[in-house]
Amino acid sequence: MESATLFTMLFTLGIIWGGCAFVIILAMRRERSKKAHEP
Amino acid sequence: MSNRQEFFTSRWGMILAVIGIAVGTGNIWRFPRIVAQNDGGSFLIPWVIFLFIWSIPLIITEIAIGKKTRKGTIGAISEIAGNRFGWMGAFVGFVATAIMFYYAVVAGWCIRYLYTSFTGSIVTTADHVALWDSFTAGYQPLVFHAMAMLIGVYIIYLGVVNGIERWNRILVPALLVMLLMLAVRAVTLDGAMEGIVYLFTPNLERLFDYRIWLQALTQNAWDTGAGWGLILTYAIYLRKREDIALNAAVTGLSNNSVSLLAAIIVFATIFGIAGAAGVEELEIGTGSTNIGMAFIFLPQLFTQMPGSPIVQSFFSSIFFLSLSVAAISSLISMIELAVRIFIDMGLQRRTAIALVGSLGFLFGIPSALSLTVFYNQDWVWGVALMISGGFISFSVIKYGVDRFRREIVNGEGSDVYIGKWYNFVIALLIPLQVTVLIVWWLYSSTQWDPDGWWNPFGAETLGTCLFQWGIILAIFIAFNKAIVGRTLKHTTQKK
Repeated sequence: MESATLFTMLFTLGIIWGGCAFVIILAMRRERSKKAHEP
Repeated sequence: MSNRQEFFTSRWGMILAVIGIAVGTGNIWRFPRIVAQNDGGSFLIPWVIFLFIWSIPLIITEIAIGKKTRKGTIGAISEIAGNRFGWMGAFVGFVATAIMFYYAVVAGWCIRYLYTSFTGSIVTTADHVALWDSFTAGYQPLVFHAMAMLIGVYIIYLGVVNGIERWNRILVPALLVMLLMLAVRAVTLDGAMEGIVYLFTPNLERLFDYRIWLQALTQNAWDTGAGWGLILTYAIYLRKREDIALNAAVTGLSNNSVSLLAAIIVFATIFGIAGAAGVEELEIGTGSTNIGMAFIFLPQLFTQMPGSPIVQSFFSSIFFLSLSVAAISSLISMIELAVRIFIDMGLQRRTAIALVGSLGFLFGIPSALSLTVFYNQDWVWGVALMISGGFISFSVIKYGVDRFRREIVNGEGSDVYIGKWYNFVIALLIPLQVTVLIVWWLYSSTQWDPDGWWNPFGAETLGTCLFQWGIILAIFIAFNKAIVGRTLKHTTQKK
């Protein structure tokens, strides 16, 4: 696999799939923390 | 059934519902085709960038407006931008509703092909072009259009929690599971890896071609649902404690994740079955249009898939079930948008649903019976969506972008802080992108038909856009006072 292909694959999958996983985990953590502080 | 305000019961219920809006047929049948026509990896880089400077900021804006105003598009834009600009909200609502008319026809096609796959006749058909032509030439599209509208209306009739939220909790995860099944089958075909390499290989010379950047922006504008007014409508049902920006990021990234998955499925399947020659079909052959790819080219590939006809039918059924689910989950948001506008004008929810359902069926008939009408409507209202995005951005500019960001986006329930970059994107980048896109698409249309571009009755001409937009805008501007007055009278009473 050429380096340009590898770069594009890592760039795209990293930002889109990696970013998606990151924001979902962050949302889960914030939700848990919100629930813990709710009366 | 009363007009009592309902709320999504949880954050994830709301997120799945909004993903249901965003993930539609555009992710599955348009994205892979556009990637093929724009040199694979060269397209992906700008496509990723525009997610962050078009889709996510507009999703944030829509959620914030809906949550703040608790009104449909007319009431919401009147409240944010001022009553003088209520016609903009009416236009945003009309564009999404006009798309609903023909999108229900598309959902009907998907259901019809699901049936054809399920019975196995799709793999025994020798000529898929003839199959498509005979289907669209008859009355069947009308029957399946009615079926799609009935399914959509039924879900909306069940309400926000029991209808929209509960059904999206089933449909969206089911769609993901089905796409993953298709992906596993596709990437295990011999030669599939070549397709994935093709998908991610950039043509560095074309990376700076402005047309690739404009196509990448267009794809984000059309397939994330940002700027349509649909997300704004669902955000009406968001509890006060819910966040805006993080939920918008989850939605945008999830939508584009599904697009990537669909592209991997399509490219792996093409290279695994037809080899590199298959990509030419996506670029210039029968697969070079959305309809050609979904209803002619891919079914042909399914019949050549290794395994018995039952296996081929199974994967074809999964594909068309995925398309149907994606279409229905988006269709219901379009119905809800129109229903909400009528509720804001004082109609009972039940009456509004009956009215929108009937109008949706009636005004979808021309597109169901004529592909020329279908292409015309897709062209006119597809480009108009960019105007809708511009109107939403304009509303925030009128309100004060920094005030909007501080008071609403970063207001109650916010999980992440949105900095001043948002002001720059909404006040400058979105209007710039809207202008460039509209000018480019309209100019391109004059090149497709140099002699008849002015024709108001042409299928895909500049004239038909200006003619249809002009009529609708003139009506809404002329009756702005009455429309806004009626909406605010009832929504203010409710508050």
